[in-house]
Amino acid sequence: MLSRVAERLYWAARYIERTENTARLLNVFNMLMLDLPKGVGPSWGQLIDICGGNAEFKAGYRSANARNTMTFMLSDRNNPGSIITSVGLARENLRTTRDIVPSDAFESVNELLMFVRRRLKSRTLHTRMYDFLSEVVHRCQGVTGMLAGTMSHDAAYQFVRVGRNLERADMTTRIIDVGSAALIASDAELERLEHRLWTWLLGALSAHQAYRQSVRRQVTAPVAAGYLLHDTLFPRAILHSLGEIRSCLKQLPRSTAAVRAVARVERLVRDSDMHEIFPQSFHAFIDDLQVALGDIHSCIQRTWFEPGGRGQAVG
Amino acid sequence: MRIDWNQYDSGGFYDELISSPGQPRVAARVLANYLKSLSDQKLARRQRAAELAIEEMGITFTVYSEGENIDRAWPFDIIPRVIPLREWRQIEAGLKQRITALNLFIDDVYNKQRIIRDKVFPEAMLKSSKDYLPQCTGVSPRHGVWAHICGSDLVRDKDGTVYVLEDNLRVPSGVSYMIQNRSVAKRVFPELFRRQTILPVDDYPAALFDMLASLSPRKLDYPEIVVLTPGIYNSAYFEHAYLAQQMGAELVEGGDLVVCDDDCVYMRTIDGLQRVDVIYRRVNDEFLDPEAFREDSVLGCRGLLRAWRAGNVALANAPGCGVADDKVVYTYVPDFIRYYLDEAPILPNVPSYRCEDDKQREYVLANLKDLVVKPANESGGYGMLVGPQSTVKEREKFATLVQKRPRNYIAQPALALSTAPTVVARHLEPRHLDLRPFILSGKDIYVTAGGLTRVALRKGSLVVNSSQGGGSKDTWVVDSGGRS
Repeated sequence: MLSRVAERLYWAARYIERTENTARLLNVFNMLMLDLPKGVGPSWGQLIDICGGNAEFKAGYRSANARNTMTFMLSDRNNPGSIITSVGLARENLRTTRDIVPSDAFESVNELLMFVRRRLKSRTLHTRMYDFLSEVVHRCQGVTGMLAGTMSHDAAYQFVRVGRNLERADMTTRIIDVGSAALIASDAELERLEHRLWTWLLGALSAHQAYRQSVRRQVTAPVAAGYLLHDTLFPRAILHSLGEIRSCLKQLPRSTAAVRAVARVERLVRDSDMHEIFPQSFHAFIDDLQVALGDIHSCIQRTWFEPGGRGQAVG
Repeated sequence: MRIDWNQYDSGGFYDELISSPGQPRVAARVLANYLKSLSDQKLARRQRAAELAIEEMGITFTVYSEGENIDRAWPFDIIPRVIPLREWRQIEAGLKQRITALNLFIDDVYNKQRIIRDKVFPEAMLKSSKDYLPQCTGVSPRHGVWAHICGSDLVRDKDGTVYVLEDNLRVPSGVSYMIQNRSVAKRVFPELFRRQTILPVDDYPAALFDMLASLSPRKLDYPEIVVLTPGIYNSAYFEHAYLAQQMGAELVEGGDLVVCDDDCVYMRTIDGLQRVDVIYRRVNDEFLDPEAFREDSVLGCRGLLRAWRAGNVALANAPGCGVADDKVVYTYVPDFIRYYLDEAPILPNVPSYRCEDDKQREYVLANLKDLVVKPANESGGYGMLVGPQSTVKEREKFATLVQKRPRNYIAQPALALSTAPTVVARHLEPRHLDLRPFILSGKDIYVTAGGLTRVALRKGSLVVNSSQGGGSKDTWVVDSGGRS
């Protein structure tokens, strides 16, 4: 299989997953901003920070208010993490690998792009934001399901799964990073605020029910964060995603180094104690985790996407 | 209303199906009688069914227009063009003879240049050919073959003579449409395939694969063969993907390939670098290797020419083979056949005037109105003057062009291209057509049974290019058991 094709499939899956999770993040953020008392909890500026878009935002906008932030995250083509950019890149990557991807899957991504373009131009966008973002989530799930259900589960599909799970792990860290924003609140309010915040975050990841069933405890920051990091069964929990990545990589040729890189990150997550980390070191821990996930990507890139990048024959 | 062949009039042109009003040619008799039994409605229904099939099968070609790429459905006319087997055998022999001579010529000009020493072909002509690449001097590709895939354009004149109009030796396209046309025709007229013997065309991808495999520099059971495409924006991308898929070869872009210090070509795969033996390249010479040709090319692969010169990879077609595709060089092909093979040409050239020759140029300038003037190095019907359909202004423009750069132009009499019945608004009308057979040369020579028939869909038009309003037909080489 050509490296270029593998790389494009990997990125297509990442952008689909990024689109879905950005929609989830925006939905929960919108709700939080309505729900929390003014002056406490996260700010719009923090949302941009969490998504790593500070530089691009500052270049184009003056103040981080609701309108600007939503425009930046939804329809700004200069923002590499905006919904329009992500869907557009997902489509472009699939379009150039059409001989490998089932045509239904390509068509549903194509339709997603047309839907997003249409709705972003609509006048009722801001009053029907929840509907729009929910539909984006559903359509992304549709694409993921289409690929899982119609594509041969060969090496090409493993790259799709790796891309999806790595992006999902990364985006889950960003979504739970919203939780560190609660630290700004005063002590008196902290407990009540924390409870509400983490309930929303579980909801954003569709994890609320699963959390209730498996944890059976009141939602507190360390327990909820621990669940989203350590659970091996819930599909959006970090350890689960890492396990998926490892099992995919094992099916690919020359995977030793990449599998080891994943195992290192799994250990980092497994060994973390939320009660120790919360509240002071949580944000720093998430930062470390994101860097570690970046290392997995670099290793995948080196191993499969750039063989002979330095003009050397391998294997 | 039913089709009445007595009412069909080709207007004095040679018609491929009907010899005179009411009289189908022998090889077309089964077809003509069958069509006679169809009502207008039924005919229109079959045409619609064919168009639907083409859309469903996703047979498209890309038109580049106003900064956008548009995928258009392939224009197809359901009435096939019929060629009797006996006549076809003759044409086939002529094409084999011609490609043999052309390959001998290319190999000669890049090596010993006997033909120049023997004064059959002028050296100045070689040096001024745009597609002569000095970088290719001294190379001897396997089997002495440079032009592995050739798509010659054949036309028939009023008196029935079949001429070679041009030899497309660079990166000829259209063969996938020939195959697709057949699969559509089989859906539309299954009963006609049962009633007579029509030579199959779908063995082409297998023949192409065998030919490419025969070029491999390494003796392997499974040499690595790839199709190199300029990418999704190329007008023939559909064909590149189709052929790669049919042969089970990788479809690669320039960036997928790398030439290492050992002067071998590798492709980047998830298993690491994998040696490539044969490249069926659909990228033009000048974009093939930024190290050897155009530095700004991003379509090719750095070092490709080096690897090819070292004999570590086969390129089909070989770089530099376009030297024989120059329209002025074309005028010498009958001489090549006599010189290299000591045979009389089986297929004639269209009579041509070289504008470089003073006497011939004088004639051309005096008779622009009756001639077709062609630039030496263009394809796709671009940049030419069709005298009988030109304005005074266009003729003046070409007169200046020809005088300024005579080496760049040839002129030919405007041929009265043959016609075939074509569906036009529910009934049949004659339309002009040509034929592009494909010839594969490796260890052996293979010629497609028939080829791609292109038809000018506009009344009276002689332009058959799909980018300029042309369509296509299936081509049937019919074996009528010796009575052809």
